[in-house]
Amino acid sequence: MFAPLTSITPDLTIYFQGYAIPACHGETVAAALLRAGVRPFRKTPVSGAPRMPFCMIGHCFECLVDIDETPDQQACLTLVADGMQVMPSQKENL
Amino acid sequence: MTPALDSDLIVIGAGPAGMAAAITASKAGKSVILLDMQPTPGGQIYRNLEHNTNSGSAQLMAALGDGYQAGLDLIRRFRHADGIDYRPQTTVWDLRPDGVVGWAAKGRAGYLRARHVILATGAMERPTPFPGWTLPGVMTAGAVQTLLKTSSLLPQGKVVLAGTGPLLFLVAHQLVALGVRPELLAFTHQANPGFHALKKLRLGALRPVLRGIKWQRELKRAGVPMHHQITDLIASGDERVEAVSFRSEGQMHRQECDLLIVHDGIIPTHDLAHVAGLALDWDTKDRAWFPRTDMAGRAMLAEGPHAFGDSCNISISGDARLRGGAIAAAHHGSIAASAAIQGQAQEPPALRKALAVQPFLDAAFPPGFNHAQPADDVIICRCEELTAGQLRKAIATGIEDLDQLRGVTRCGMGPCQGRSCTANAARLLAETRNDIPPAPPRLFRARPPVRPISLGALAGLSGRDPALAEISAMTNFSGLEKTGDGSD
Repeated sequence: MFAPLTSITPDLTIYFQGYAIPACHGETVAAALLRAGVRPFRKTPVSGAPRMPFCMIGHCFECLVDIDETPDQQACLTLVADGMQVMPSQKENL
Repeated sequence: MTPALDSDLIVIGAGPAGMAAAITASKAGKSVILLDMQPTPGGQIYRNLEHNTNSGSAQLMAALGDGYQAGLDLIRRFRHADGIDYRPQTTVWDLRPDGVVGWAAKGRAGYLRARHVILATGAMERPTPFPGWTLPGVMTAGAVQTLLKTSSLLPQGKVVLAGTGPLLFLVAHQLVALGVRPELLAFTHQANPGFHALKKLRLGALRPVLRGIKWQRELKRAGVPMHHQITDLIASGDERVEAVSFRSEGQMHRQECDLLIVHDGIIPTHDLAHVAGLALDWDTKDRAWFPRTDMAGRAMLAEGPHAFGDSCNISISGDARLRGGAIAAAHHGSIAASAAIQGQAQEPPALRKALAVQPFLDAAFPPGFNHAQPADDVIICRCEELTAGQLRKAIATGIEDLDQLRGVTRCGMGPCQGRSCTANAARLLAETRNDIPPAPPRLFRARPPVRPISLGALAGLSGRDPALAEISAMTNFSGLEKTGDGSD
């Protein structure tokens, strides 16, 4: 869905479900995942429907992922860090 | 015992209004704490502007345009102002009218207290309920702009833009400038602004209107097909959006699509004003709540009993108060801070000029996706995946307000805490009531935290909860701790 406008020089690596994803210091987890073509970010706890970022400014909570074992983090508000382990949000339907 | 103040002023939000408020207060010798969700100052409009000025490509900066670059001066003044304790990547999950603010950052949380709080949390895009709006590949115009500003990410594949409002034009214009030609633009507004909009044109509106006309011409020249007054927008696909269809001039149109960019105008964010118990007024035309404030942004408490006293030390500034864009927001931020410090402020002519185009824009681009009531199959609550039909069924059993609807259906109980669904759920409730005149929809009762906060952060809360501190002081004073028999 998205491609970099100019060539980028990634300076760190994050992991989504174990797959290495190059990322740039200062960008958000959501941006790095979108550039890498990750789809979807998670499945809903209610029906299992696939979801991806919608608003990118912290209102919609559609980009929820688990980061370094902390559940339900907003990927659009979290900055990348080298070695970060990202997983789709694993929340069960309660 | 009242806990000590942490600063004279707490500003929430580092967009144009928040930065200007903080600068004005610091110049007056006041101590300021500014809390902002983003990593760098600028708000959504000037997002990542410092970085892009230093190392963004010339092509990107040209496409983002003068309106974006103009923010650099304000950001620099903010960075150089004395006495501002700027705390980026900090979310605010509680606000009280006496100046108490609950914050969270990097797994920690606490309370701060100031003499006065200025809410400068900006606007959000009006939620856009239509069939398929939860599919991957459907994103808001603001989201696409954010990706462009923060990571130089450009949409690829088949792109369709749908909806209404200046931001939709701006994004379409920027995409074309960067070499991405959308498949089509599907507008809910009419092709030519009608008399009702034209009669709201003011002299001060000339430049922005001419700029809009120029963008429209460029889009035409680029050969982007445009449809107007579209209805019945549907995004379809299995695992992602694959096609979009809509009705225009009596005909159904269908277009394959990889990315559907939607926008239905902007509305104030009101979550913190609401949890603080401030008065909010429903605007039927806008399908949104607006805070009740005076010219300088001073807010007032909602009717009813007040849990934290009758005084209100909160002002609301920028687009969180009144839609008007970045320049108006910066002017208002200064006024809001002056009024908070000195008790009064004058409305400068520059603010009136900056707001001159807004009545025309509001009339020419009315809510589109939110115009008609949603059909039964449209998801209203994205978090709990509740459709309009499911909510109508629940309402038909005798539910009368949003609190009951939330209790019965979970509508508004998901992670977003009702940010996407509240206004539309309220409108569903209103359609079954036949009040004459129609009663304005009422909000949910809001309780902190309004943003998720971990139990670990809560357990280690710093800065005592001022309300609990007062209760414990009272308890000690009356000697209840000593005389109690331990059975409480």
